[in-house]
Amino acid sequence: MKLRPANILSVLYAAALYGFIFLPVVVLVLFSFQESRIPVPPFDGPSLRWYAAMFADSRMMEALGNSLLVATLSSLVSLTLGFLAAYGLARHKPPGTGALRLVLTAPMTVSYLIIAMGLLITFNHLGIPRSLLTIGIGHVVINLPLCFAILYSQMGDHQANIERAARDLGASEVQVILLVALPMLWPACFAAFFLAFTFSWDEFIIALLVSRFDVTLPVEIWNMLRSGLNPQTNAVGSFVFLISFVFVIVLDVIVFGRRRVKGESAK
Amino acid sequence: MSKKVSTGAISAPRSILSAAVLVGTIGLGSAPGLAADELNALVWCDHTDPALIQPFEEKYGVKVNLKEYEGTGTALSIVEQSQPGDWDVFVVDGVDVPRVVAAGILAELPAGELPIDDVFDQVQMKDVTMVDGKMYAIMEKFGYNVVGYDKSKVDPADMRDLSTLWGDKYKGKIAVYDYYIPLMDLTALYLGMKPSDISTETLPQIKEALFQLKDNAAMVGEVVSSTTALATGEASVLLGGGEWAVGVMQDDNPNLEWVLPDQGGILWSQAIGVFEGSEKKDLALKFVQYIMSPEGQARLATSSCFWGMPANSKAGDVMTDDQKTRLLWDEQEAFLAKSHRYYIPDAELDGQMLDVWTEFLQR
Amino acid sequence: MIANSRIRQAYGFAAPAVLWTAAFFLVPLAIMALYSIWQRVGMSLKTVPTLANYIAFVEKSFFLKGLLNSLEVTFTVTILSILLAYPLAWILAEKVPARWQRIALLAAVLPFWTSYVVRSYSWLLVLSDGGVISNFLMQTGLTQESISLANSRTATVIGFVHFFVMLLTLTIYANLVQLPKSYIKAAQDLGAGPIRTFIHVVLPLTLPGIMVGAFLTFVLCIGDYITPQILGGNKELLLPQTLMLQIQRRADFPMASAIAMILMAVVTLAYAACSRWLKLERA
Repeated sequence: MKLRPANILSVLYAAALYGFIFLPVVVLVLFSFQESRIPVPPFDGPSLRWYAAMFADSRMMEALGNSLLVATLSSLVSLTLGFLAAYGLARHKPPGTGALRLVLTAPMTVSYLIIAMGLLITFNHLGIPRSLLTIGIGHVVINLPLCFAILYSQMGDHQANIERAARDLGASEVQVILLVALPMLWPACFAAFFLAFTFSWDEFIIALLVSRFDVTLPVEIWNMLRSGLNPQTNAVGSFVFLISFVFVIVLDVIVFGRRRVKGESAK
Repeated sequence: MSKKVSTGAISAPRSILSAAVLVGTIGLGSAPGLAADELNALVWCDHTDPALIQPFEEKYGVKVNLKEYEGTGTALSIVEQSQPGDWDVFVVDGVDVPRVVAAGILAELPAGELPIDDVFDQVQMKDVTMVDGKMYAIMEKFGYNVVGYDKSKVDPADMRDLSTLWGDKYKGKIAVYDYYIPLMDLTALYLGMKPSDISTETLPQIKEALFQLKDNAAMVGEVVSSTTALATGEASVLLGGGEWAVGVMQDDNPNLEWVLPDQGGILWSQAIGVFEGSEKKDLALKFVQYIMSPEGQARLATSSCFWGMPANSKAGDVMTDDQKTRLLWDEQEAFLAKSHRYYIPDAELDGQMLDVWTEFLQR
Repeated sequence: MIANSRIRQAYGFAAPAVLWTAAFFLVPLAIMALYSIWQRVGMSLKTVPTLANYIAFVEKSFFLKGLLNSLEVTFTVTILSILLAYPLAWILAEKVPARWQRIALLAAVLPFWTSYVVRSYSWLLVLSDGGVISNFLMQTGLTQESISLANSRTATVIGFVHFFVMLLTLTIYANLVQLPKSYIKAAQDLGAGPIRTFIHVVLPLTLPGIMVGAFLTFVLCIGDYITPQILGGNKELLLPQTLMLQIQRRADFPMASAIAMILMAVVTLAYAACSRWLKLERA
């Protein structure tokens, strides 16, 4: 890139926006090492006091476990249901496909708050006790359309031809799904699961309204914010950040690393 | 051929699916909440401090599940959204006990098994905890909704007069505690009324004064956000604050203090009781007894969420002098004499007050 | 015969997902709609159909004000985010060498990997009086007095824009990289300057990316409770905050349902306005 005014301007602009994007996270992490109770300047650390407090906080650790459980299971259910629906509609194009597609993707066009309200009132009306299960149900509602849309958009006609070939060669429908369709679509499945997991992991309002004692991490952080200002909130936030960061890097190396190797060997 | 394939094809995914759902149900359902030796308590956040709860859990080998809330309205809405038997222990604003008893939520407590005589005389409030000679709750903690401030930023003498907060001197430097009852009561004091003078007729006056206050306010926040504003310098004064907001922060910011203004103060109080629908009333009573013991009281008084005076005067024997100084232990008698309890309106006025408060927030 | 069983099979595959969506999305919405025409009186629920809640929404100034505030904030956020994100997306697509683009995008998303509740809270620490920005400005002598941006609508907007700039950068970038270079070249060959090329060629072709991002921003922003609740200082409440007040302080589900229905109507209008860019296409 040459040193032209336009390029300098570009660099400055990008730097400013990246600065804006990173500012709160840098502050968050820095003050997680604060010694005193008040997470604003002057910085008087570094101290690991609040990390120790976090790991000693059994409610927080429980919430972390709950979040993992709900995110994993709700994403698996979303992926399974989404895959089957996408397969059924994209491959066989039954009459009414358009309407069904509309129904399946409808939750995407509604605010989470509205979904949460609906579930809260319904569970309450029917006397269904609120628990991790009800949170999980809510998370499938928001993630199922996502998984369906991703997989449906990836089911192209060339794959249909391969599946038809397999079927003509006598493969049963189950075999077609497990041995042909799934392997061809695994990157999309993977992406869908990954996205669903992320949304569930970070979802707040549904988890707040349809939970009772067993809460997920975002709700517990919210409780903590409401019950005491201290850098432990920063420590939890930084810890979640670290986990996600490592997760993304590992994933990136596995998914894209493999592709890169493949690409090079193909040359 | 097609027929055979199709049935197999549909049933196989279905069984995978039902297996997945089943696994999900089992996995999620077996989470804590079903075991026999657990106690479910609906509490203010000061009861969630592990230093308070863990000694009880260890002594009796039980788990205490805590759900925190702010404001009786919130608590009642949680109870309403629950099934009978969901809850065992209830911590509620002292003055709201009659309302809760009237709703049939609380069970009778055995007065003889609780240290009622050790509770400060003025906070026993038998008029609210006892109905028809039966005791339904016991006072556990109290304090004041008055004025908290940072003495390095304001003149402490100003803080003794509520009207300075309505003037220009601290404009934009005032945080207001987001709880409509004590704040409207304080507003009434500022206007020279008693909290019990609040009525449909005087509400417009209160509203006008509140809106003036809003013009001076940097923010309106719940327990933590308002305390945070004071501690971080966002605000120099916290109206509605008191020992509960200041005590926990004094280690890190020794400039924080609180005072009861000349116009008087608003006394907050928490009572603890056992749910009528509880299936573990014995264990729940043990928990109440623990909270009321001098040790439990001392821990509750200095909880990491907010501080407050222990209702049981015997707690003074196990608290440090520094803790008692921060709570202004020695001035309690004078403070209690100048304080008014939360004024509890009837349902209709309550609705109107909440509307005014929402409008106040909305400005 | 074969065709029929195929169709039945297809319905069989779709059935679990459709049933789930019906049971836990459509039915709850219907129940909520029903609640919105019921009424809470004292501690009990009156199940006689009435429009009282909707009338209250119009009559009580704080509800209408909440809707107005929400619309103002949402439009401000959407427009600001597009204006900020577009140049960044363009720089990433055009100026950054191809092999660095993925890293740059990953870096842009990175800060959003911390919890969403914590992110709003960390803005509070950055913006508050005595916080990082105020401290920096005072130490560099740019201001004499400490300043506070927290607990205001400005803070809410900053918190929102932070997230949506990232989101819009991604959707617009995705659109820009698909843009065939030959179009731009053709426009230039035909004598169009950079501005005309942008307005007549690039912008129309990236409109889908902008609209998808704008719609997402609109829906996510107008329904969000956390950001205004943490950063807004309980001033100028937004619609979701007034809704949560009904649930949390009054257990007034009918009123909350009515507000939710109104919120849904607003979102539906936005969807209708953007729908032609939001079609679900198959590859």
